[in-house]
Amino acid sequence: MIQVDSITIKEFRGIRDLTLNFKEKNFAICGPNGTGKSGVVDALEFALTGNVSRLSGEGRGDVSLRRHGPHVDKRDDPDKARVTLKVTIPSLSKTVTVERSLKNPAVAHVTPSDAAVLEVLQQVKAHPEIVLSRRELIRYVLATPGKRAEEVQALLHLDQVEQVRLGLQKIANSCENQLVPLGTASTQACDNLLRALELSELTREKVLAAANAQRSILGLSPLTDLTEATSLKDGMATPDPAKPQRIPKAQALADIRAAREALAEISSVPTTTRVTEVAADLNALASDPAVAASVKRETFYTTGMELIEAEACPFCDTPWDFGELKKHIQAKIGHLEEISRKRTAAEKKIAPLIAALRKVQAAMNTLVDYASLTTPPVACEAARDYSANCGTVVQRLTALLPLAETITFLANVPVVPQAVLDAVANLEKAVGSLPDPTKQDAAREWLTVAQERLEVWRDAMRKQKAAKEQAERARKVSDIYATTSDTVLAGIYAAVEKEFASLYSFVNRDDEDKFKAQLIPSRGKLGFDVDFYGRGFFPPGAYHSEGHQDSMGLCLYLALMRHLQGNGFTFSVLDDVLMSVDAGHRREVCTLLKKEFPNTQFIMTTHDPIWLRHMRTEGLTGARSAVHFRSWSVNHGPTRWDERDVWTEIGDHLKENDVRAAAALLRNYLEYTSAELCHRLRAPVEFRGDAQYQLGELLPAAITRMRRLHVRAKEAANSWNQREVTEQLTARESRFAILADTSNAEKWQVNAAVHFNSWDNLGKEDFEPVVKAFRDLLGGFTCSDCNEYPRVSPDRESPESLRCDCGKTNINLRKKGA
Amino acid sequence: MGTRESELPEASPMTTSPVKEGSPDVPAQVFEKFLQALGDASASAELIARLRKTLLDDKTFTERALKAAVLGEESLP
Repeated sequence: MIQVDSITIKEFRGIRDLTLNFKEKNFAICGPNGTGKSGVVDALEFALTGNVSRLSGEGRGDVSLRRHGPHVDKRDDPDKARVTLKVTIPSLSKTVTVERSLKNPAVAHVTPSDAAVLEVLQQVKAHPEIVLSRRELIRYVLATPGKRAEEVQALLHLDQVEQVRLGLQKIANSCENQLVPLGTASTQACDNLLRALELSELTREKVLAAANAQRSILGLSPLTDLTEATSLKDGMATPDPAKPQRIPKAQALADIRAAREALAEISSVPTTTRVTEVAADLNALASDPAVAASVKRETFYTTGMELIEAEACPFCDTPWDFGELKKHIQAKIGHLEEISRKRTAAEKKIAPLIAALRKVQAAMNTLVDYASLTTPPVACEAARDYSANCGTVVQRLTALLPLAETITFLANVPVVPQAVLDAVANLEKAVGSLPDPTKQDAAREWLTVAQERLEVWRDAMRKQKAAKEQAERARKVSDIYATTSDTVLAGIYAAVEKEFASLYSFVNRDDEDKFKAQLIPSRGKLGFDVDFYGRGFFPPGAYHSEGHQDSMGLCLYLALMRHLQGNGFTFSVLDDVLMSVDAGHRREVCTLLKKEFPNTQFIMTTHDPIWLRHMRTEGLTGARSAVHFRSWSVNHGPTRWDERDVWTEIGDHLKENDVRAAAALLRNYLEYTSAELCHRLRAPVEFRGDAQYQLGELLPAAITRMRRLHVRAKEAANSWNQREVTEQLTARESRFAILADTSNAEKWQVNAAVHFNSWDNLGKEDFEPVVKAFRDLLGGFTCSDCNEYPRVSPDRESPESLRCDCGKTNINLRKKGA
Repeated sequence: MGTRESELPEASPMTTSPVKEGSPDVPAQVFEKFLQALGDASASAELIARLRKTLLDDKTFTERALKAAVLGEESLP
């Protein structure tokens, strides 16, 4: 996608004004803790994405990008906090400038801003994972399987895949749930129809036979077929609307019998037993206040999941990240899994009670209708009230919460009020005393009621059929999606697993060259086990050291990024990610990055100068592709080990007659530079296990080494009969000797009077020549063209040359025939 | 150490949603395979077209959008 040429940071985080030239190459940022390295990382992330993950997201509390992104002295002027990147887009062969200010972090000013450029930058913006800190790295390795799956899914942008899976699953479940009440309605409609037809079984032949028997009484032609459009009373005269409606005596008596049966069922022993069981379960849930509260919460979250669809909160209209919100709520529901299981079990037990109550409710409604047709009307308020009460209990049992209320309602389910039984008996008596209709009237009533109930049943069946088709389709779609996504993801994980194992075994090939790993996806979780020296597969944190875990995290990240971005993986920021890896393995990491990711520009931070040198010696970074911060202050931000910086600052201290400050800075700088010189020149220094070398050990060793290299170079030139070169080297050797002698550095071991410890006691006039002497001495080491220190090559075994990066200094150290 | 203030002309802000090109878009891969599998399972062309529009063209993954795609114009009885 992109590579970064340079970054200019102004008034951002702890940085006042800083420009770094990356030149599209790997670049290292080194410095002790608190010197501004992370500020550069934050600035890179901000310029590319408009966000700083360190200042946002989970656990950030009161810290925010807008308020705490600007330098502390510019917190009221966020427009001054700006980051400007010069970026190259290899695929477009274009260089563009991207600038953002904290006044409006969401807006990047891009020049030039054609559509292709913006599209690439938008891709980068969508991949904040280009910045990897140790915090993220550990999340891939040591997280729980569920959390790891989330992290890896987020990195691979699989959250959309998961969101669709959950959505389709929910739609399928919801369609299937609709089938239950529709099935109950169909059964009730069928029972009512059978009762009207006076049949025990609903077959085409039997319905036609029964209907035709009634039709023949009325002299109507027999029906020959029963289709969806067939009317049982086809050809029958429409009743006179002015004539009062009569009770179909036979049908009414059958319905009253059915109502009695429904009442008997609701007050039966099996119903009472079920009520007792459900009440015990609900009491158990309700007796623990914590559980009761959890049930309430679980119901609330589940309802919330069903209702959140809009882009913003319906209360305060604050926009929300839909995916994040759903994930958040789902996690809460996940924590209440046990509660959810208990609730579902209780709901299953309650379902038959709800069906029985609905049956009673429907039967009571039918009787109430009949009662209104009797003369004089039979009092049926008790049945009407009981029907309404059954409806309320159904609602309560369906809602389940609050539990205490549900338990109270539940206790009354098997209790049928005597007034209801009395009303049913009165109605039965009234209907029974009605004069029997004529045969023709009875046939007319029979056909009318049968047709009405046939239509109700047909409608119920149509709805049930449509719902069943929808449910089957939704389930099929959901199942196919689950299978397909599992297959694709399994393929991705297998590829990443192989890539990861290959990268990790490269870094650890000294002892884990047979290393293998297993990424095991399972129902939204991602297990991660690694081979431990052929003894089996274990979680990474089980036996591997912290250093190994760090390199595992980096390798898994690299494998995922390679899979995710392919050739587009051209830029990555590694923020102190290998702090626990030992020197030997860091060297291998350098080789890995260089060899396996030659087209990726890595910006790396470290607090360890040795790691910085490894990057250089392994060729991961060039000589000028690094910055070494030495200190930081709130007024000036980071300061770096830079010639111009240091000598200017020392001069400033001396202008203020502050010899102590000037001396301290000179000493620190010489310590840093001497270590660098000893490293580059391969100067022998007495080994210290704690790596705490003094200036008195390092600088003399570097000077001595340079002198010996001059001697060795002259010997080599002589062996090749290069007289002119020999003369040049003699002149160089003499110039260097004068510089070294002037500095007195080689006499520190024997002459305490000239030792750097005494610098603090010098006056300004006495110290100025000291500063000049050391500045000149360091100049004696550097290449006159590139101003860099040369290095002995190769970095191990017999030295062959002394050369700088620009090639101007290139001194042969190998004798003829050697 | 610092550079002068950049004088950049106003330019289009990056505010639209990102589109990936030239590198594997995993969700798009999954969705394509899914639609292909639906076709293999003799799902109706209308259903596949609706899901393609929702998942790949509109990139909307809300339950409401998915429900409309799966069930079409029909509402639950």
